[in-house]
Order: sequence, then C-alpha cells, then structure tokens
Amino acid sequence: MKAKVGVYVCECGPNIASKVDLDRILETLPALDEYREIELVVKKYGLLCSADGKNYLEEEIKSNGFTHLVLGACSPRDHNKTFIGVCKKTDLNPYLYKIINIREHCAWIIPDKEKATEKAISYLRGGINRVLYQSSLFEKQLDIDPDVVVIGGGIAGIETALSLAGEKRNIYLIEKSGKIGGKSSRFSSLLPRQGKGLALIEEKIEKVSANPFIKVFLESSLESIIGFLGNFEIVVKSKNGNTDIKAGAIVVASGYGLIDPLSSESHSYSESDDVYTSLEIEEMLKEHGKIMTKSGKEPASVALVHCVGREEKGYCSRICCNYMIKIARYLKDQSDAIKVTEFHKGLCMPDKGDQSFHKAMAERGVEFRRIQKITQDGTKISFTGMDGSPGNADFDMVILAPAIVPSEDTDSLAELLEIPVSETGFFQEMHQTTDPVATSIDGIFVVGAAHSPKGITDSIFFAQAAAGRILTHLIPGEKIVPEVKVTEVLEAFCTGCQNCLDVCVYGAISYDESKGVSVVNEVVCRGCGNCFGSCPSGALRTKHFTNPQLYQEVREAIR
Amino acid sequence: MTEDYITMNRSDNVLIIGAGLAGMKAGLLLAHAGKKVYLVESLPLIGGKVIKNEESFPNLECSTCMVAPVQQDVLQNPNIETLTHSAVEKIEGEAGNFRAVIKKSARYVSMTDCIGCGMCFDPCPVSLKNAWEEDLGERKAIYVPCAGALPNVPVIDPDQCLQLNGQQECSACADSCMFGAIKLDDKDETIEVDIGAVIISTGAETFDASKLPELGYGKYPGVYTPFEFERLFASNGPTLGELTIRDSEKTPGKIAIIHCVGRQQVGYCSSVCCMYSLKFAHFIKSKLPDAEIFNIHSDICLPDKNYQKFFNKVKESDTTLIYSPSPEESKVSQNGSGLKVVYTGADGKEQHVEADMVILSGAVIPHPEGSSVATIAGLNLDSYGFFEAGKDDIGSVHTSREGVFVAGSAEGPKDIQSSVIQAESAAGQVMICLGEVNR
Amino acid sequence: MDKKVKKEFDPKIVGFLCNWCTYAAADLAGSSKMEISPALSVVRVMCSSRVDHNLVLTTFFNGADGILIAGCHPGDCHYGEGNYYARRRYALLKKVTESLGLESERLQLTWISASEGNRYAEVVNSFTEKIAKLGPSPINCRSDL
Repeated sequence: MKAKVGVYVCECGPNIASKVDLDRILETLPALDEYREIELVVKKYGLLCSADGKNYLEEEIKSNGFTHLVLGACSPRDHNKTFIGVCKKTDLNPYLYKIINIREHCAWIIPDKEKATEKAISYLRGGINRVLYQSSLFEKQLDIDPDVVVIGGGIAGIETALSLAGEKRNIYLIEKSGKIGGKSSRFSSLLPRQGKGLALIEEKIEKVSANPFIKVFLESSLESIIGFLGNFEIVVKSKNGNTDIKAGAIVVASGYGLIDPLSSESHSYSESDDVYTSLEIEEMLKEHGKIMTKSGKEPASVALVHCVGREEKGYCSRICCNYMIKIARYLKDQSDAIKVTEFHKGLCMPDKGDQSFHKAMAERGVEFRRIQKITQDGTKISFTGMDGSPGNADFDMVILAPAIVPSEDTDSLAELLEIPVSETGFFQEMHQTTDPVATSIDGIFVVGAAHSPKGITDSIFFAQAAAGRILTHLIPGEKIVPEVKVTEVLEAFCTGCQNCLDVCVYGAISYDESKGVSVVNEVVCRGCGNCFGSCPSGALRTKHFTNPQLYQEVREAIR
Repeated sequence: MTEDYITMNRSDNVLIIGAGLAGMKAGLLLAHAGKKVYLVESLPLIGGKVIKNEESFPNLECSTCMVAPVQQDVLQNPNIETLTHSAVEKIEGEAGNFRAVIKKSARYVSMTDCIGCGMCFDPCPVSLKNAWEEDLGERKAIYVPCAGALPNVPVIDPDQCLQLNGQQECSACADSCMFGAIKLDDKDETIEVDIGAVIISTGAETFDASKLPELGYGKYPGVYTPFEFERLFASNGPTLGELTIRDSEKTPGKIAIIHCVGRQQVGYCSSVCCMYSLKFAHFIKSKLPDAEIFNIHSDICLPDKNYQKFFNKVKESDTTLIYSPSPEESKVSQNGSGLKVVYTGADGKEQHVEADMVILSGAVIPHPEGSSVATIAGLNLDSYGFFEAGKDDIGSVHTSREGVFVAGSAEGPKDIQSSVIQAESAAGQVMICLGEVNR
Repeated sequence: MDKKVKKEFDPKIVGFLCNWCTYAAADLAGSSKMEISPALSVVRVMCSSRVDHNLVLTTFFNGADGILIAGCHPGDCHYGEGNYYARRRYALLKKVTESLGLESERLQLTWISASEGNRYAEVVNSFTEKIAKLGPSPINCRSDL
C-alpha cells in the first residue's frame, strides 16, 4: 500500500506563525523529489491542541485515511499525549505518528524567520522520514495475581500484611524464627509519642493470627523466586517441606541487627562487667521488672553511651538517641537516686515529640554530656569534651547503643531476589527521595529497618506505603498494561554475551540457556535503551527509538 | 472500623488539599486505581516547595528533573482534576459521603485557551516583587510564578492589575493575547463535589526569622532565609543562579550559616535543617571556591543511612564547622561593610566570625493554610500546630476525623523521602477506607 | 554567533538529548525565548545511555561536524544510572573518533538539568562556535542511512 502521510503544522496562534513561514513549508514539502513515492498532505491549522483543533485533526485522519501522521507543533512534553489521544480515536496506530517541536526548537530560539523556516523544514523532513520507518505497537493486557508474599514477621511485615489482607487478597507471611513480632515485641515499653505503645504491637500480632487471609510460615525462608510484577512464583522452605506460592508482589521486611560493640576499637569489656546493650536492658526489664547489676544490686550510677560503632558504619542509626532517653527514664522511674549520664555526640531527635521528651528527662536530672570522643573499658569511661578537655569516670553500669545494621540474611535475600544492596549494607531503594519503598525490580518492595535504620513509627509508615502501592496497582480482577516502547531481542543476532543483563538496573533481561540468547521481559523493561548501548552485535531493538528511526532524523540534520 | 461502612451511595472520589510532592504522589496512585481525584492547590502552580530547590539533598539531584515528570503526569492524568488558585471552603458529611465546597478564584486567564506563550507579560505596565521568588525577583500583574511553572498558564493579580483594581482602564495584556485567553471579567467560581475521602497535604513553611531580631533578618540585606537562598542559588531563579548579595552586585567572600534558628521557640528539631544547611555550604563552594564558609551548629541531625556520607564530604571540603550550644542565640551586627556573627562557643564564652552573607536555617513550621483547613474540616491540630494523626496509634495517617488523612510535612517536619512515604501510605489508607473491592 | 564565521562555514551538529533532563532544559530555553544556534538539530532519546557507538559513528561518517550528547547530571538519571554508562561509552568513543582522525572536541558529552535552560543555550552556542572554528569534519563518507 502506498503510504499516505498527513503533515499538519500548527500556527500556535502567532507563536509559530509569526516566526516561521508556514506557507513556505506548505509549498516546499510536497514539491520535494524524495516524496514522489508517497502521498503527502500538508496543511496548517490555527491551534491544534484546542478542542476544535483536535476534532479537526480527528476528522482529517479519518477522511484522508492517513497511514502516518506528522505534526509540526510544540514540545512533545506539552502535547504528545494529547495527540496520541486523537490518534486513538481513529484507526491510526499512535506509534505511526510523530510530533515535531518547531516551536521550542525553531520559532522561539531562532530570530531570523528565514533560518527558522529552513530549520523547521529540516526537522519536518526528518519527522516524515522517521514516521515511515516507525511500526505500529500495541498495548498488551496481562492478568495479575493479587496475592502478596511478605518476608519477615516483625512490625513492618505485620503492618504490611494487615493493610493488604482481605477476601480477594491472600498474604503469605514468611518468618524465619518461631514466632512473629520481631524485635519490638522484646521491648519493655515504647516512646511517649507512640500512642498506646506495646499494647498496640500485641494487638497487631493477635490480628495477624486471627486473620483468615494471612497465612504465616514460621521457621521458614525463601527458597527460590522467578517471575515479575503481577506474576511471581515463589518457593517457601519450611521444616516440613516446601510450598509453592503464586503472588503479584513481594514485600521485604527482613529487619535489622545490632553491631557487636566489641568490633569497635573504642569499646572493650568482658562478660563479667556490668556492660549491656540497649536490647539486653529492654529484655532484662521485661523479664525481671528491674534493671540490676550482675551482683543483683541496683546501680547507683549508669553511663549511657550513644553512637557505638557509628563511625565504623558511616551512618547515624536514627533511633538510638530516643531509646537511650527512654532507658534513662526506666532508670529514673526505678529510682530517682540513680545518677544517669548520657554521653552523646550531638542528639538526633528527628520527630516532633522528641525534644520535649529529652527536655523532660533533663529536668528529672539526667545529665546529657556532649563529647567529641569516648573510650570505654568495662565500666570505666574516658572522654574528650567539646572544648577539648579530657575527662574520665567510673560507673556501676554502662549501657551501649550499638549501631543498627542490616539483618544477617540481607545479602542472601538480595541475591535470591536480584535486588541491589546499598553501600551501607541495607537494601537499596529505587530512588532515595521520590521512590523509597520500591526496589529496582517492579513488584518487589522493601520496608522497615531492612530499608534503613528506623523505629517502629517509620517502619509502619513504610509498610503502609508499600501497601498503598500494591492496593492501587495490583487490583484483584484488573489487568496491568505494561509499557509498549520497550526493548526486544533479535535472536538471530544475539551472541549470548550477556552484557545487557549486567547493565539493566531493572533486571528486565534474562538469559535463555537453551537458545543461548538474551530475553527481555516486556513487563519489567522501561525502555531506557541502556542495554542497546551495551550490545556489541546489534541484537537489540529499542521499540519506537530504533537506530533506523533515529538515523532518519540524523540524516536530515546533517543534510 | 471500615467494615461498618454502608456501601450504598458512597462516593469513590478523593479530595486532596495541597499539590506539593506528597499531594501529587498520592493523587497519582489513586488515579491509577481509577479514583477520581480533585487536587486543590492555593497557588497558581503545582509542585510545592521542592521545586524551589535547585538540588535536593543528599544526592544533590536536580529537583526540577525529579518533580517535573510528576507534575506532567498529574496534569495529563484524565482521572485528576487539578484546581489551582483554589481553596476548599467547606467539608461536610462523613467518611464515604463527604461534600466539599471549593472556591476557584478568578484567574482572569482561560486554562483552556491559553497556550502559555507568555506574550502578555511584557505589555503589562505594572512591575512588582515576585513573592514566589521570595521577593528577590520581579513579576508583572499578569504572571507565572517562575519560568517552567506548571500549569503554564498565567494569573492576574487583581489587587495590582490597573484595570481590576480600578486605577485606570488597561487591557494591555488582553490586547497582546492572540488566543483571546484573557478574561478580565472572570469571576470567582464555587463548585461542590461529592467525595469519599480527603487527604491533607498542605505542607510547611520555615520559621519567621524576624521574630528573632538579634539575627538581623530584614535589617541587613546580607541576611537570608533558607528559601531566599534557594532561589538566589537556582539557575532558573531571579539572578540565574549568580550569588550576589541583595541590593548589590557584591559576591560574598565569607558566609555564615546559622543552624537551629527557631528550634527553641517551636520546641522541636526540624530534622531537615542540618542537611539543607550543609547543602548550602556545598552549593556556595561549588560556585565560589574561594569563599570561606562557617556552619554554626549545635546537634547535627542526620537521620538517614545516606546523610552522614554527605556530612563527611561537606565537612572535609566545603565548610568550617563551629559548635555552639545555642546557635539560634547568635547576634548579627554591622561590621564595616560586612556583618559580624557573635555566638557562644563550646567553652561557653562569646566568639565571633565575620561574614558578608548570613543564612538563617529556620525551623520547619506548619503552613498557615493548614490551620484554616483544620478549622473548615473540623480537625485537631497538635500542640505545635501540625495536623494530629493517630492520637493513640503509632505510625498513622488518620486525622481526628474519619475518612480524612494527612500526608507530608502537614503532619510534621519531614524530608522528601518521608513525605513521599506518607503520601503512599495515605493513598493506601484511602483505598481501604473507600471499600473492600480492592481487598 | 559570529556572523563572519557563519558565512564561511555552517556547521552541522546533532544533539542527542535525554528526554527527562536536557530535552526539558531545551524546552525551558525555548519558552524563555533564548537565542540558540540553528546549527544544532535535536534528536530526542529516552536516556543518554541509549546513544550507542553505532549511532555516533554513523552520524560522524555521514558528515556531522559535531555531536553533542546531553543527559541528566550524574546521580539524577531517570533510569537510575544510565548516564554513568553513557559517560563510560563516551570515554571509549572519544578514543575511537580520535583514531579515525577526528578532533576529539567534535564529540561532547555534557549534563544539563531540566532547570538549566540558560546553560543549555550557553552549551549549544559555545559548542557551535567551537565546531565552527574547527571547520568542516574531515570525514564524510556518506553511507546510506
């Protein structure tokens, strides 16, 4: 069939019409020798993006039966979607249309009308040539599985499960230990700003057990995973065998660990010393109701040492200052006579209720001592003050706030899930600020302290955020529509070098061992084209941005 | 709680108040799920505070690059009705069945006819300070707040427009518009919409530094607020990013950045000021490598896994860190042609540095719009003036009224990450609130 | 641009701009009505990493006097790290073009963010000037594109 290309230039009121000689375009283009083989209709219109303009265009496409469409108008960032919408009302596939930006790239930046017109003609010729090389692309609709696998039964995992579970969505909660609840359920109490505190955590744990749509796997772990957003296949390994699960999304809530204080050069103590980590104190209090020394006495003086291992790890653990103030309160509640000194290097109290808690404890006699350096040997502390003066003191008890580190299974999980780990050792989010709960793989989310050191409040927010993403994107009974402009593999050219697998941050490419070629998962691919740049054999094609298509634009640019 | 809702006659629409990053992100998620979203914004543009920053910490990413695609998605999404230059006047009813009254202030420029060419600016005879540019730049009575504003449709300031304030007959802008888009007879419009749930994302402001007169804000041209400095630095700002001291051509040689301004007054740490203050030091050094920079700080708050790395980098190469137990009690005074900052040192004694420019890193405070929304919607604020969320709960976006949620710094000071997290959380809670279809 | 230089020689420059940052900067420069050299023709790509060796070399072989590749600043890539890959490929391409007898200045990679409309104009204009001074590309073996 002979191609019939419609070319419409928009006057954009005076914006284009006064700076570009549109009539000359109307004369020049049809007269060009190179378009002998095709039928070309070139017209101008006042304002194509107006309601009238869109109707006009729709009618023109229908009545002329165009095979391709080129618009000389504004930036595709402004109105590409508008005109794709117009195409969709006709039989013209929207990928056989192209908008050429003769406003921002000609009319508005080239003061000389003749030059601007020449430039516009050049761009339009590139556009006409390009559309002739474009191919129809069609949206696909894929069924999804609304179920969700949650890895980790701490507070973040629990909150995720509770936010998502329902009649149309089953949740599979995988916990490596023998019970759910995580570290927060080992605490003696929570912060004053944390509502009803521990009771809420216990309530949530009970709700999980009572929810018929949440299946808990205890003493279990992830064995394998394949698939992609909407269609993951997971094998869960438990004591009594493996279970196959199908799910649409995976939420990683694998929690955190604490650094061993003895790994830091500044800290040394032996088992017989009255030196404890914060978590040990929480457990001691929960179990015995009192904080006591190893000899069974109430300590008369206690040093609370912040930031243990912070320098080594290279980040602030965010929650320690607050819980150390909470531990000071435990001590003061136990007996006002206990002398409590907090050694810190600047307090981090990033929530609005924190400062008043700090102030209240300072008023109750807790000494907050800001220092530059500290070394601890058993219950002996030596330090350098802010003004550089040295000091030392001996205490009955020392409580350490060890840096929060990723849980032990982070690396193995990352490997299984094929999601990256950041240089701090925690899972790497998709984007630091604008997409913190997603990972590089669509459909896999990371929440709670597996993402970064965070307390219960923020863990719950992260869990709800992942739930928000899943609730709005994996709707039971609805299909998902993947991006159309993705990369495809031309198997005949693929040498199987697998370069493309390494550069794809989305994990969209896999390797087919039997055929010896790369395979692109069109659901996961975002169409950036990075893999294309890495392919030594030209076996990839970035749909709608193929080299032959781009060459058409280039050819006119350097004519 | 949600199980008790009656499913008849409920509305599936969502009202979002405030089109900053939190409001936009929540809106996009809900629109994706097929909800009709009314996104109401008091300013004539969407994008919120983030787009005032050239680059955002900790990765110093170009904010426009980060946010412009989000803005475009919002404006082009058929499920989102963006109502800029508008305010919610009433919210009645209950979760699932609210009725909201929204006042759309006259823009005097047609959103459908205007193509954003900007031809109307030059003919306008009125020039005045541009508040969006923190008064550092000028605009006309018909204006867009900044180049690249979205939606790219100007607005007329009726108090300043000669025609509209009755000072004289003028139709210069209307005459210059080839699209007939300027409607000088435009009127305020009130619409009523049925909605099922509300998200409040009215954002925050920074502490009014003039409340601490010793810091010299408003008295000395060299003293800046954080957003003034952001706009001064921005390549699309009033000086195209050239760092010159207000009302002069002078490039500063010494700059003091005072942390924690207003912290004692507001009663909380704002969690973002340390990072943006360090970012400022880095900004200045990148443009003025010979500048001497002092960050006068107390506690350094770096509450994210990636913040300390940034701190270490800035500490090493960009600034001199000066510890003061109470930086906000510093005193700024004239010193020859420059300024002098007197502060309390680590030893408790008075120290000072000389500076040509002083940046006051102000605390994050509730946006004034928040309290009026709270009154209209009958919502509780906490003792600091932020929206109270989940009173007895932990990590909740539920306000004191069922079906009304809060996201972003309307709930308390937040970095961008935490705002986005709360927005996504609120979107999820709205989905749950609106019905069980999804679960 | 210097009129005299222009009369002598009109360089042909191709600019491969990433959709998210630099193309947006070009839009901003346009809507701010900045004067920009018409020597550069914009070709929009989704990411600077999409620009492969083939595209660059074919463009040079067919007579381009200069090529500008521009994307998001490091760390800003819409696709995470595409611009880092672009930078590595650029380093390699520089060597290849040099070995072909092309002055290395004819190929330039730069980062222009969406808010840097004025920088976009500056970069394009100064690049055009630089290429104009260099004169026509010594390579032109126009193959069939």
